[in-house]
Amino acid sequence: MEFIIEGFRKALGLILSGNPEIFSIARLSLTVSLLATALAVVVGVPLGSWIAVKKFPLKKLLIALVNTGMGLPPVVAGLVVMLFLARSGPLGFLNWLYTPKGMILAQVIIALPIITALTISAMQSVDRRFYRQVLALGATEWQAILVCLKELRLTMVAAVIAGFGRLVAEVGAVMIVGGNIRHQTRMLTTATVMETQMGNFDMAIAIGLVLLALGFAVNLALTLIQQNRVIAR
Amino acid sequence: MIRLRGLRISYDTGFSLEVESLDVRRGEIFAVIGPNGAGKTTLLGAMALLDRPAAGSLSLLGRDAFGGGDRLELRRAMSVVFSQPYLTAGTVADNVALPLRLRGRRDPAAVEAALALFRVGHLRDRDARTLSQGESHRTALARAFVTGPRLLLLDEPFGNLDERVREEISRDLRRVVRESGAAAVLVTQHQEGALTLADRLAVMIGGRLLQQGEPQEIFARPASKAVADFVGVETVLPGRVASRQDNLCAVEAAGRTLMAVSDCEPGDSVFFCLRPESVSVSLNSDAGGRRNNFPARIVAVEPWGLEYRVELDCGFPLQAAVTRQLVDGLGLKPGLEVYASFKAVAAHLIKR
Repeated sequence: MEFIIEGFRKALGLILSGNPEIFSIARLSLTVSLLATALAVVVGVPLGSWIAVKKFPLKKLLIALVNTGMGLPPVVAGLVVMLFLARSGPLGFLNWLYTPKGMILAQVIIALPIITALTISAMQSVDRRFYRQVLALGATEWQAILVCLKELRLTMVAAVIAGFGRLVAEVGAVMIVGGNIRHQTRMLTTATVMETQMGNFDMAIAIGLVLLALGFAVNLALTLIQQNRVIAR
Repeated sequence: MIRLRGLRISYDTGFSLEVESLDVRRGEIFAVIGPNGAGKTTLLGAMALLDRPAAGSLSLLGRDAFGGGDRLELRRAMSVVFSQPYLTAGTVADNVALPLRLRGRRDPAAVEAALALFRVGHLRDRDARTLSQGESHRTALARAFVTGPRLLLLDEPFGNLDERVREEISRDLRRVVRESGAAAVLVTQHQEGALTLADRLAVMIGGRLLQQGEPQEIFARPASKAVADFVGVETVLPGRVASRQDNLCAVEAAGRTLMAVSDCEPGDSVFFCLRPESVSVSLNSDAGGRRNNFPARIVAVEPWGLEYRVELDCGFPLQAAVTRQLVDGLGLKPGLEVYASFKAVAAHLIKR
């Protein structure tokens, strides 16, 4: 019991003294996960909208596959990305293994099915007749999708929150692809694992607290955006 | 404006829509009426270029609409109004400006003008989701007119509004369509609405257009029993033309001889059709020059809107629409012996 309280006390000290290592790790974590979320949104939202709106054969099968992708274990995503990025792999020429770029790629692959699947279900919740009405007002298909997405912004912000939350907390993929290299690819999660294994509980707790605070700050920002819209109604 | 030929749309459910020919002229309000599930909305979806039919040709505004080409440009020359307003989040003005935004335009003056057309200018800054139903429909109409459409398609507009509001909005709509010179196609199951708005009518039942013409013509002279049933011709008796003098036919039906003005030939098998509004009920046998006059017994007297429906037995069933004053004045009640009369010109014969 004593060592837990002691751990928290030291951890707070580390944070309040502005330990540069912790903050550089936090900055990298935030950058990688935010960029990966943004890329997943840029690809996943149009993709999910298209799947939801269009009629094509095997649509249900595709949706089932995307839904399965939501539960993709990060370690599996990390393993596959690592194999592709390895020197002898098909994408080896990029030299992205053990770099933040490689970690972003792995995280995009984790977040993409989440964003896509949540977009599909959100778009499918829109009354088909609403979509047709927008088309009938002179919209192209993409314009009509955009109008629907605007109507769905509450749900869409929730999808972004879900995607970012998954990525910032994820450890398996960034560990495998990034390698937890100090000053280069060390993330808050991988650092927490390492410090715990080394018995540096104060450092582990400190990093864990920063991770929680970071997740809270980003989600607070997104939630404020989301709820402001609600009040504006 | 619209020239539709040989349209065919079929569904897996076995329902098929077939329209041989339909023309809507410039500046005309054309209504397609029919019961639920007749295919009216499917027809409108094809005309709005939202669905692609299996076969047929459609010329919109003088341009081929099904044969490739830029359908978007054609879609942008018209507006569609559905039974629900389907407003987006935002203010009333935002909603009305949406069609302009979709065309990459900004035109506050056009928005103001459209709001004024449907008398919702005072609501411009209101959140669209706080509007009453009537206001929502007015906003949807303003939105449909903001681009100055040359063709307007209306699918059961204001279907769920109460009667008074619907009539008000219908009047405004009629005025705006007339002033704009646009052509309009209205599909609805509300016959009164179609009658107040339309210059010409078509009756659609079971995926087929059974009759087209002027409203009075269709309501007075339905071309088939199905149309007669739908447009509220309540007395439809099978019979045979026994003789004809000039235009006056004597029809044998239900063991009686009924007189009707028609060009049917003696020997023709016909349906003898009569609208309830054409039947007079009195206590004495003076028919006042009406060629058909029968003693009748009242079977039932039921309120029907502001009027009453009197179900009569003259040896054949006959429906009469009468005013409340008449019901009270004559003391009409079931079992009472009365006389039912109607003019030969009010009756209509459909060949079987």
